[in-house]
Amino acid sequence: MNSLTYNILQLTVMILVAPLINGIIRKVKAFTQKRKGAPLLQMYFDLFKLIKKNTVVSETSSWIFKAAPYVVITTALGAGLMVPSVTLVAPSGFMGDIILLVYLLALGRFFMMLAGLDTGSTFGGMGSSREAMISALMEPSILITLFTAGLAAGTTSIGGIMTKVKEMPAPLTQPVFIMFFLATLIIIIAETSRIPVDDPSTHLELTMVHEAMILEYSGRHLAMMELGASVKQLVFITLLVNICLPLDQLITISGIGAIVLSLLLYLVKVSAAAVLIAIIEVNTVKFRFFSVPNLAALSFILAFIGFLEYFVLWR
Amino acid sequence: MVIPAVGTLLGVSIILFVSAAAAALVFSHWQKLCNTASNILCMAASVSGIWAAIRHLLAGGEKVVILSVGITVPIISFDLAFDRLSAFFVLGLCILVFCVSIYSIGYVSHFYGKRNVGLFQLLFSTFILSMFFVLTSSNAVFFYIAWEVMALLSYFLVVFESEHSEKQKAGMVYIIMTHIGTAFLMIAFMMMYSYTKSFDLYGDSSAIPQPARNVMFILFLIGFGVKAGVIPLHIWLPYAHPAAPGNVSALMSGIMIKTAVYGLLRFVLVYLGVENTWWGMTLLVLGMISAVLGVAYAFVEVNIKKLLAYSSIENIGIIFIGLGIAFIAFSKGNRTIGALALCASLFHTFNHTLFKGGLFLGAGSIQHATHTLDMEKLGGLIKKMPVTAVFMLGGSLAISSVVPFNGFASEWLTLQSLFGMIGKGQAVLNIAAIVAVAALAIAGALAAASFVKLFGISFLGLGRSEHSEHAKEVSPVMYTGMGILIIPCLVLGIFPSLFLKLTDGLVTELAGQSVTGNLGGPLLLARYEAAPGGNSISPLQVAAVLLILFLLALTVIRLVGGRYLERRYGTWDCGFEALNSRMQYTATGFSKPIQIVFRILFRPSRELKVGGDHQYHPKSMEYTVSTEPIFEKYIYAPVVKMVTDLSRRMKFAVQTGSVHRYLIYIFVAVLALMLYNRIA
Repeated sequence: MNSLTYNILQLTVMILVAPLINGIIRKVKAFTQKRKGAPLLQMYFDLFKLIKKNTVVSETSSWIFKAAPYVVITTALGAGLMVPSVTLVAPSGFMGDIILLVYLLALGRFFMMLAGLDTGSTFGGMGSSREAMISALMEPSILITLFTAGLAAGTTSIGGIMTKVKEMPAPLTQPVFIMFFLATLIIIIAETSRIPVDDPSTHLELTMVHEAMILEYSGRHLAMMELGASVKQLVFITLLVNICLPLDQLITISGIGAIVLSLLLYLVKVSAAAVLIAIIEVNTVKFRFFSVPNLAALSFILAFIGFLEYFVLWR
Repeated sequence: MVIPAVGTLLGVSIILFVSAAAAALVFSHWQKLCNTASNILCMAASVSGIWAAIRHLLAGGEKVVILSVGITVPIISFDLAFDRLSAFFVLGLCILVFCVSIYSIGYVSHFYGKRNVGLFQLLFSTFILSMFFVLTSSNAVFFYIAWEVMALLSYFLVVFESEHSEKQKAGMVYIIMTHIGTAFLMIAFMMMYSYTKSFDLYGDSSAIPQPARNVMFILFLIGFGVKAGVIPLHIWLPYAHPAAPGNVSALMSGIMIKTAVYGLLRFVLVYLGVENTWWGMTLLVLGMISAVLGVAYAFVEVNIKKLLAYSSIENIGIIFIGLGIAFIAFSKGNRTIGALALCASLFHTFNHTLFKGGLFLGAGSIQHATHTLDMEKLGGLIKKMPVTAVFMLGGSLAISSVVPFNGFASEWLTLQSLFGMIGKGQAVLNIAAIVAVAALAIAGALAAASFVKLFGISFLGLGRSEHSEHAKEVSPVMYTGMGILIIPCLVLGIFPSLFLKLTDGLVTELAGQSVTGNLGGPLLLARYEAAPGGNSISPLQVAAVLLILFLLALTVIRLVGGRYLERRYGTWDCGFEALNSRMQYTATGFSKPIQIVFRILFRPSRELKVGGDHQYHPKSMEYTVSTEPIFEKYIYAPVVKMVTDLSRRMKFAVQTGSVHRYLIYIFVAVLALMLYNRIA
């Protein structure tokens, strides 16, 4: 498979699967509340409708406000290209690196925080300020976690790590990857604005973080922001499942069939992760904002223990 | 065409700098002419310097003696020599000087009729010349003199607008701190002479015994650490930068603090040679502390220049982390990682010169246009100063080390060298390395947050005071000067191999190994033994993919959504009459969460004064938040108090003012010296 086809496939998978994850999470949450909930594909309809709508732009805002959605969606999709959903084909096309991934997402976040301040609203600045804090607290554990996985695989390339873990006997039974799993789970919750760090479904000024930053957005800009956030969520989930639960080595057939099979396995894995996140969301309450550091510290400690275990147990 | 020799080019450069100073003096009665002539001469001088430096970095490499002054004192020489290490820093100096001089043509105009422009330009060009001499002197005594002159001239420039007592205090803190550093350097140079009988920087240090080497390392570290502004020797930076004029603080932060990095490389790495692991470890730990604390203090600052000054401390920290890894690797004989880390550190030094120089120029423009640097009084400047805003944003992105800017490239190399350093059976090193990774991560995130704050609060939203309402875009020369510094940040971010190729000779010379190896195209490459082939990314490819994705997003949105229809409407004002600027988040409010989370570090205190008869019906409210400067309060204040007390007591005991006593002192001193001479 040449790199162009691979990248197009990867991009399509990312764009198509990302909203589905949100759908699954919402559905599971609805079921636990004895509701039927919105259809699984609701987010696609929402996005489609938003793109078609006219946009309202604040009089106070500058070009930053209109540029930010494009930066956010571009960086999210760029990150999406770096985390292979199918590890059967060597991703020769786009060289993804754990450090690159982190600093690419930082670009999107930078513009999102600026956009929050651009409208001059009371909420935007609040969201940006809170996001700045959460990102500063989560960043060390993200890099350490990814570094540990990289060290275990002997490379910082994401494709390289995912290929390497396939040779390992059941990563999730090894302490290093158990810690990786737990730390990454906390990172996903914090980075994708989930309960207990943030609540994606409310618009209360006491709780908003992500929603506060994008409060003034409408129409196609909002659609891009939403899709960007959901692709970013899928990026982290893909990292989690493809490093902790590599299944592609089990596929014995080759050709197109293998890729389809691998994609199906991937779909199952990310859906399972989505259900897990939904269960966590249902079973926790939103933390007080200044309790978030504790969660970040927990994630950092897990990541650090993972790193230590790598030395004690690995070699 | 005859290509002039490197020595000639540098000679021309020196002559032009001298004539810039002379022009400033001669034309001091014609302010406009004085300003233009002097700055244009500085520009010409730096062009010549850039040419020489690039040529020397790419070809050549041997030490070139530029100027040899014959003097009769035996051990001292005023020779100027130029090798690759000097060339690298001279390159940074000249690029920065070129842009700052363009900028100054516009900036200095606000001194017309108010201040002595001739004097300013004289100080400015001789300050540049002194830095030039620091970077090229080949004799420790001459280095010391140039270093001291640099410190004094920068002091005069810091206090150039010294009506306010605040600025006088800033100058005082700076001059005292820098002299403490110089004292340590002097002891180190004396030790150097007493063991080797030579002040030659390019000499042989093998005669120095091991314990003395350790002592000299500490002396150099403190001496240069003060100038670099590494925590806990940093306290002068946040005072001196806001006090200095915009173009001067760009030079001071952009290149003057880098002369300390040059000093460390020149004296510790090249002259002494690194043999002990703890040297690198010390640098690494200091680097981590500076990076994290520096940026943490930057984040809570509301004065733009103070924020930038603290961010300089952070970046020096990142440079020190790179140097520390390099020193550790050299002492362990691991040339590959050493070369990688050294390259990362040099790259970051160069990058910081570009973007911090640009950002300080931008801060100068803001001050020029609004007469304030207080973010709480700014806002909405993006509409008033669109070009400055774009360059400020570029600089902010570069310094936040996001993809695809140059800050990312050097940070990537630093992280890669840390990745390569982690290995078997060296528990302390491994833990230090992973803590350094965490430090870099939190520093990166906080740096991004700080610059979101700087840009977002002062350029976006609604104007918060008269200052920002009446702002006008600065003159084209000013933003051109700034732009020439910021645009290369993006270029070097996309084509980092330009830089790697340029410094390949230098890194090979210092580390004994080349980083670039078979570097092709715009790759960024890290090689080590553990991973065959090492890791690589291609920033050009990333940039291209991002561009394609952006165009794709644009097209798909257009195809699905049809024509873009926009309605302009007011921001949601929470149901009040109208949105006003006081409803926005303030700079203080923006950093409040971090301040609360790290309250152990900031020790914030707040005070709420309610005016009026009853607390539930206040007529006025006054709210003050302040953070406690830990280092000043708990380290410097006690020392200062001790010294003053001691001096006061000395006044009565030793220095009484009686001539008889002084005569006895002289007599005793002479006697003691004679005795010492007899015995020794």
